[in-house]
Amino acid sequence: MNHDNTNLNDAEREGGGISRRDLLTGSLLGAGLGSAFLGGCSRANRVRDFAVGEDYVLNRPEHQILTSCLQCNTGCGIKVKTWEGVAVKIDGNPLAPHTMVPHMAYSTSPFDTGDIDGGICPKGHAGLQTAYDPYRLVKVLKRAGKRGENKWVTIDFRQAVREIVEGGKLFAHVPGEENRPVDGLRAIRAVTDAKVSKHLESEIKALTKVIKGIRKEKGPESDVRRAVDEFKEKNKEYLHLLIDPDRPDFGIKNNQFAFAWGRLKDGRGDFIKRFTLESFGSFNAHGHTTVCQGSLYFTGKAMSEQWEYDDKDHAVKWTKSDKFYWQADTGSAEFILFVGSSPFEANYGPPGRTARITEGLASGRLQYVVIDPRFSKTAAKAWKWLPNRPGTEGAIALALIRYVLEHEGQNSQFLSNANKAAAAQDGEPSWSNATWLVNIDEKGKPGKLVRSDEVGLEGPKPRTDDEGNAYDYPLFACLVNGKPTAVDPNDETTPIEGDLFVDGVVAGKRVKSALQLLKESAFEKTIEEWAQIAGVQASDLLEIGEKILKHGRKAVPDIHRGVSQHTNGFYNVLAWYSLAALLGNYDHQGGLSKSSAYSANGKKEGQPYPISSMSDGKIPSFGLSIIRHGVKYEDTTLFSEGYPSKRPFYPLSSDVYQEIIPSIGDQYPYPVKVLFFYMGSPVYALPAGHKLIEILSDVEKLPLFVCSDIVVGETSMYADYIFPDLTYLERWEFQGSHPSFPMKNQPIRQPAIPPMTDTTEVFGEQMPMSLESMLLAIAEEMGLPGFGPSGLGEGVNFTRPEHIYLKMVANVAAGDKPGDAVPDASDDEMDLFRAARAHLPKTVFDEQVWRDACGDEWWRKVVYVLNRGGRFQDAAKMYKGDKLANPYGKLLNLYCEKVADTKNSRTGQKFAGIARFFEPYVDSLGNQLNDEADGYTFKLITHREIFHTKSRTASNYWLLALMPDSSILMNKADADRLGLQDGEEVRLISPSNPEGEWDFGNGWKRPLVGTIKTLQGLRPGTITFPLGFGHWAYGSADIVVDGDTVKRDERRGKGIHANAAMRVDPALGNTPLSDPVGASVAFYDSMVKVAKEVR
Amino acid sequence: MQHELKRALQKPVAERKWVMVIDLRKCVGCHACTIGCVAENKLPPGVVYRPVIEEEFGTYPNVGRRFTPRPCMQCQNPPCVPVCPVNATWKRPDGVIIIDYDKCIGCRYCITACPYNARTFDFGEFFSDGTPSRAPYEEAPTFEYGKSRYRRNEQSPVGNARKCHFCLHRVEVGQLPMCATTCIGRATYFGDANDPDSLVSELIANPNVMRLKEELGTDPRVYYLT
Amino acid sequence: MATNAATHQRIGSKALIAVWLLLVLIGAQGLWLRFVSGHQPAAYGSYVTWGLWVATYIYFAGISAGAYLLTSLVYVGKLRRFERFAPLGLFVAAITMMLALIAILVDLGHMGRFYYIFFRPNFSSMMAWMVWLYAAYTVLVLAQLRLALRPRLVEHSRDAGVRGRVARFLLAGRTDAAPEQLDADKRKLRLLAALGIPLVVTFSGGVGALFATVVAQPYWHTALYPIFFLTGAVVSGGALLLAAIAFLWPERDEALQSAIGSLASLVLAVLLFDLMLEWAEFSVAMWYGIGHQNAMMSRVLWGPYWYVFWVFHILIGSLIPIGILARHRRSSFALGIGGLLVAGAFMAVRLNIVIPALVEPQLKGLEEAYYDKRLVFEYLPTWFEWQVVFFVLAAGIALFYVGCRLLPVLNSSQFGESNEPRQH
Ligand SMILES: Nc1nc2c(c(=O)[nH]1)N[C@H]1C(S)=C(S)[C@@H](COP(=O)(O)OP(=O)(O)OC[C@H]3O[C@@H](n4cnc5c(=O)[nH]c(N)nc54)[C@H](O)[C@@H]3O)O[C@H]1N2
Ligand SMILES: Nc1nc2c(c(=O)[nH]1)N[C@H]1C(S)=C(S)[C@@H](COP(=O)(O)OP(=O)(O)OC[C@H]3O[C@@H](n4cnc5c(=O)[nH]c(N)nc54)[C@H](O)[C@@H]3O)O[C@H]1N2
Ligand code: SF4
Ligand code: SF4
Ligand code: SF4
Ligand code: SF4
Ligand code: SF4
Ligand SMILES: [Mo]
Repeated sequence: MNHDNTNLNDAEREGGGISRRDLLTGSLLGAGLGSAFLGGCSRANRVRDFAVGEDYVLNRPEHQILTSCLQCNTGCGIKVKTWEGVAVKIDGNPLAPHTMVPHMAYSTSPFDTGDIDGGICPKGHAGLQTAYDPYRLVKVLKRAGKRGENKWVTIDFRQAVREIVEGGKLFAHVPGEENRPVDGLRAIRAVTDAKVSKHLESEIKALTKVIKGIRKEKGPESDVRRAVDEFKEKNKEYLHLLIDPDRPDFGIKNNQFAFAWGRLKDGRGDFIKRFTLESFGSFNAHGHTTVCQGSLYFTGKAMSEQWEYDDKDHAVKWTKSDKFYWQADTGSAEFILFVGSSPFEANYGPPGRTARITEGLASGRLQYVVIDPRFSKTAAKAWKWLPNRPGTEGAIALALIRYVLEHEGQNSQFLSNANKAAAAQDGEPSWSNATWLVNIDEKGKPGKLVRSDEVGLEGPKPRTDDEGNAYDYPLFACLVNGKPTAVDPNDETTPIEGDLFVDGVVAGKRVKSALQLLKESAFEKTIEEWAQIAGVQASDLLEIGEKILKHGRKAVPDIHRGVSQHTNGFYNVLAWYSLAALLGNYDHQGGLSKSSAYSANGKKEGQPYPISSMSDGKIPSFGLSIIRHGVKYEDTTLFSEGYPSKRPFYPLSSDVYQEIIPSIGDQYPYPVKVLFFYMGSPVYALPAGHKLIEILSDVEKLPLFVCSDIVVGETSMYADYIFPDLTYLERWEFQGSHPSFPMKNQPIRQPAIPPMTDTTEVFGEQMPMSLESMLLAIAEEMGLPGFGPSGLGEGVNFTRPEHIYLKMVANVAAGDKPGDAVPDASDDEMDLFRAARAHLPKTVFDEQVWRDACGDEWWRKVVYVLNRGGRFQDAAKMYKGDKLANPYGKLLNLYCEKVADTKNSRTGQKFAGIARFFEPYVDSLGNQLNDEADGYTFKLITHREIFHTKSRTASNYWLLALMPDSSILMNKADADRLGLQDGEEVRLISPSNPEGEWDFGNGWKRPLVGTIKTLQGLRPGTITFPLGFGHWAYGSADIVVDGDTVKRDERRGKGIHANAAMRVDPALGNTPLSDPVGASVAFYDSMVKVAKEVR
Repeated sequence: MQHELKRALQKPVAERKWVMVIDLRKCVGCHACTIGCVAENKLPPGVVYRPVIEEEFGTYPNVGRRFTPRPCMQCQNPPCVPVCPVNATWKRPDGVIIIDYDKCIGCRYCITACPYNARTFDFGEFFSDGTPSRAPYEEAPTFEYGKSRYRRNEQSPVGNARKCHFCLHRVEVGQLPMCATTCIGRATYFGDANDPDSLVSELIANPNVMRLKEELGTDPRVYYLT
Repeated sequence: MATNAATHQRIGSKALIAVWLLLVLIGAQGLWLRFVSGHQPAAYGSYVTWGLWVATYIYFAGISAGAYLLTSLVYVGKLRRFERFAPLGLFVAAITMMLALIAILVDLGHMGRFYYIFFRPNFSSMMAWMVWLYAAYTVLVLAQLRLALRPRLVEHSRDAGVRGRVARFLLAGRTDAAPEQLDADKRKLRLLAALGIPLVVTFSGGVGALFATVVAQPYWHTALYPIFFLTGAVVSGGALLLAAIAFLWPERDEALQSAIGSLASLVLAVLLFDLMLEWAEFSVAMWYGIGHQNAMMSRVLWGPYWYVFWVFHILIGSLIPIGILARHRRSSFALGIGGLLVAGAFMAVRLNIVIPALVEPQLKGLEEAYYDKRLVFEYLPTWFEWQVVFFVLAAGIALFYVGCRLLPVLNSSQFGESNEPRQH
């Protein structure tokens, strides 16, 4: 093939311009005209060498810093390649399981990974454009016009901190606010004395206990009032410290400071929580979980409640649950049901999951089903696609449960294990309460789990705790071959294998087993009827059922937002996880896995720095949170108002994002004086986010609003101050892991490039402006405990972010148990470490500072970890036999007693404790919305494209090149019916947004108009739009800074963001529809009209 | 594959036969290859070496989607080469069609001649044009063909035709092409077809192999598995 | 009467100068932009990678070839009646060739490297051939022009002014105007013309081949293209010559009238032939309404730029001039207009050659695979591109004017005697 003319290369090596050979050719040309022409035709195949130069050096480890991506929340391990101090390329870290399958052994020398790149997604590659965004903030901005007017002045960092701390007439320069005094943080932090705070905490706790007692006994409200009055009398001198002395359970005034965040990871999380919960003493620190997959997390929490002694409450109760969820072990499963989950496009996350799935497809190991109204990219490779009616995921799960039970395909061995000993006997890490008995009342409704003494068995076991306090440990009950037997879930000695299906009377009590209740839920409808409800073919369900039976434990559901983000989200999720329990998926290779990370907080044995307990004085935080989470309405003083509560309570969840701002707006339960927001954009992210603009714009309802951001974003544009932050390439964080990765890992985010923000001085130290320096400076200004010299305990300074971060790295290096520590970095590795950071300024990399922070004895281990971008468990160690090496390993509740024992604060009705199907699209008062009858005939859903992340990638021009604009996707048949053509503009109108527009405030509106894109791959009657477009800030709008206009970039504002068309809860008026149990925000339930736009 | 690649590098360049195999059954349309390539080669706006074409088939509810990445086919009978008036583009002994940026006069004849639209022209634009500042990574050099070149002052590669070069700068230091390493569907294979033990040799012997526009006789070195 | 006409003429020429100045101004700005901003302000991209400038280039190259071909036929065919126009024809050919070369030069990504084509040519490339042929052709045209002008240059060389100096320079001492010498010149001319005809046929066919050989573009890839280019060249070159003679020839005698008439007939005939070829081209490809070519041609006919074909090419460039050329045979003014229309509107034909092939993606879906304004399969020239074309035009006018003033291309009595720049 390659035979001719390969020897002409020397002249070619001369680089630019005309080479000798050219001249020669030129001069010989006249003679050769004719023959050259004849030669023309074959010229294509001529071969010549072309020497490749040697300038490329990015494969060398000294040009690489290994860190963690945050272009989406997966946090894949990455290597940032630098060239003359600039990050020029990002690739995958081959030691991380996200980017290579199997990932390389952790012990591999960094000198051997330099030229091995792992695979990352397009967003990961485009991260350079986040870090080097020309619209990035580098100085503090202070509002110079009305909120949202986009007028700013730059202000000295320390000056801004002083203003926020001291308050005053901070906005006298803004028309209308000349005389508006703003309370500063110092004034808001009423309680500064830990002793006072502790005293009040216990007093209020006691009061609450009294109130609980009164309510339990159905005592009169006057008793409650009397108890409050007694409290007031007793604590006279402290009443001025309370938000409302008549409602002491609100807590101290410190709670009027609220800190909220969107995307937050450990490290920064520890910073914020230390600041808010422990130093400021406010109970209001809330994240974004519920906008994301709340009901997945909180179903996981409900299912993982353990029956254990709580040493704070001195009682046995449902406790020690984890806020977490499970995903399929994609790398070993044989049959996966991807329900409302798109691992090729979103999820946690495409690089890691896709490779495992396509390998499975290619090798024949794996087949999968996609249950999703949209024909996602994942569906493109599916064995079957079921475009179900949105919100009916639970119905499909129940149909399959029915199928499994009808065919006796359940894993009886797993299900019958009623306690730890039984599980251990079978080598199972986990066991369930499937066989436990549940009380059934006279109406046939299930109530609490049966306690052993209720059915004539031995009663609670007397025990003592570590401090020698005696307590009773109540037991549960099940039938063993028909014989009632007491169950101690955690008993490791006596295996109890219960009867699966129990429906009868035991010791005079009407009881059913949990599994029986599940069966009844599933048998409420026939498979045909379930199919009908879900809008799918029953025959498809039967075929899937067959596959499930065939693959057993390796047939596994992988569910995500499409399941959880409905008003019935909790029960949808519970139904799928119940199916998984029937199949015995938990902890099994190819089954369901939970996330496991090397812990960084130092709580594990052998870890040197217990970060959260290292402090020179904490102020406890307590009270009723503004989002009313973790507490029952009935236990508060507010309950005197009866049902419905003014706004919903969320006793079973936390981080209820959609409640933060509306609650501030309604000043319920109490007014908030200052809100800090970090890396979140609720206005953009939340359904009905337009409602938040009204509240954020109102300086009366929210007197002070401070944001930490990297640009002026859709939410921070309404702020009073914006502090510039470091992006993920410039900062620290401990990413943690995700359930989609069964191996333990902890990618560590560390500075890879010099900071883009200005430098400032805090505690006498130079550092870049960032979230950390903002908090440190406020702490310095206010003299908060837990920060500054000796902030981490006597003699241990906390004056720089590195002071805790390097300690956290040391914890990771130490591992999760003694003997788990990593080796020391070699001398060569130490040199490499320095060389790779030569471009970092002292403000972020000062070897001495780092070394001192983690301690000499840990320094080389820390370098070992940092040279590898974190810590990752070897692929060979992720399974133990056919089980996961990092199992869930606990009691699993199919019947969630705590849920069953909780009431909806708006309806006064008890929640169901077992999986059931409920229709979606219900408001907080429990009313089924029927907008369809009013002509709102399209179900609006939303989805992610692989190449955009939420509100954050509008600055990534490479990604915009893949999709510069967004459309509303509609099935072609629907479009034909409406006479709509591709590219035609339509307006989305919903009952709660009848104008069909975004109102950004200050008279600036934008119609909810987008172009139609027709396709076949979408359930008719459903429309969807991709997340990430339709920006009105983030560089897409002109802003004025110090009188100069920063021109917008049109590219960043294209397309439509239709969240404003999503349904506002009519019973609340300013909040999207939500799941009352798992607190998920409903993203996929709204009904809208699609109106042709005539301009 | 990386081991095979290093093995092939032991041989003289003329004995290597680089081929790329793209398994369309495994391609999930993630476009990581597109952007990975853009980032690796610092491609400016309007220059792209490996777009991924997305298509939808069928009628609801029987729907299909296909994703077809399109690097340069490295035609062994390349229509783009003979048209070049100044011999600025040619075939290397290992089969890679290269462009010598220092020779290319930017006439764009080759662009019109490529039956795959695989060549694009560098207009000298930047993604951060029209924003408050030029992003530093855009000022960094491209390392194509192992030479660092700054896209400044209309210097090459500005004003040149540009195309996929199988990442020769990476390949020659023992790295797989960017699009192959970052392919999250693991759909992109790369290797030496002259090595009978290589994965690509095995793959291209499959009956389900096809090449784009094979009828033109361009003899591409990029194979697709369907 | 006479003064009136003179004032009219003066006003007219003032207007012309004003228009020209405007062209220069606009054009110079365009050219300046081209130097400071490269290709960025242009609308062509990576998919439609050739645009207005390439069309301009083949347009002028075509005119040049046509004008040259007709002129050389005069020499070779000893067509006495036309011989006096021959220098003008050669002159037009030389200038339009230069314009073509300017247009293609600005189109290069690296203008500074244009000479690489001479030093490292690739003779399998039609483009390399073209440039070499142009070079040869340009030399030939200039040599021929010099020979053709020699007798009158000899007259000029006696002038004291610039004209004389130019003439003396060009003659380089060869002031011999003896009849034998002139005869020898004529023989040489004939010889050169005989050499030039195949050369110009080759190259104008070659321009066609430059496109036609591109296998990747079915729209271009037809054997008819080279022929098409040749006829097109004759039509556009002949038409421009017709207009030039009709408007500018100073001696308005009967012989001129008949010569113009004959030239008009020729243009008409070739135009009709050209249209016939075009009919063949379109009808063959489109007859059954299917296929790749059909799609592209439909777009030419009925696409968003249908008017380029129908209004400019068919109506203004063909139907109207056919009417004029066929019916107003006695009015040299009308025929001149006809020629101008044909020549001017021929640009539409050139655009419709270059662009339509490129607006079709080679692979379906490519247009949605990666977005950029350079990666679209549509094209409408920007004002900047037109500006550069205006510059080319202005340069052409200037060259023509200066040439006419300094060189005896318009016979002996001088063009524009009444509006010497000095008078303004
Ligand atoms: N239509 C639609 N809406 C959705 C979803 C959907 O699928 N469709 N998905 C939802 C989901 S799952 C989630 S998790 C939410 C997420 O919603 P959020 O958690 O509210 O936020 P993000 O979109 O990640 O935006 C974070 C904001 O923080 C700022 N920011 C970006 N980087 C940094 C940084 O490095 N530091 C600081 N301090 N600030 C930064 C920017 O202003 C950015 O807009 O969105 C939800 N919204
Ligand atoms: N590219 C990209 N990746 C991301 C993110 C990102 O912003 N961009 N964000 C990260 C974050 S924070 C999250 S939470 C995850 C989210 O990851 P996923 O939950 O997997 O992704 P989504 O696209 O939100 O929703 C999944 C699927 O649900 C489908 N769906 C919509 N409505 C319904 C419904 O009613 N029923 C069913 N069954 N399906 C429905 C959508 O069509 C979509 O295909 O992704 C993470 N990864
Ligand atoms: S999946 Fe997310 S974390 Fe991983 S590379 Fe892509 S954007 Fe980064
Ligand atoms: S653009 Fe460059 S490589 Fe392409 S044909 Fe012209 S000179 Fe050759
Ligand atoms: S794909 Fe195009 S650019 Fe690549 S070798 Fe073939 S013809 Fe040339
Ligand atoms: S081989 Fe390299 S240059 Fe070619 S498409 Fe892949 S990444 Fe781009
Ligand atoms: S990276 Fe791989 S899977 Fe993704 S689009 Fe490219 S070829 Fe397909
Ligand atoms: Mo999320």
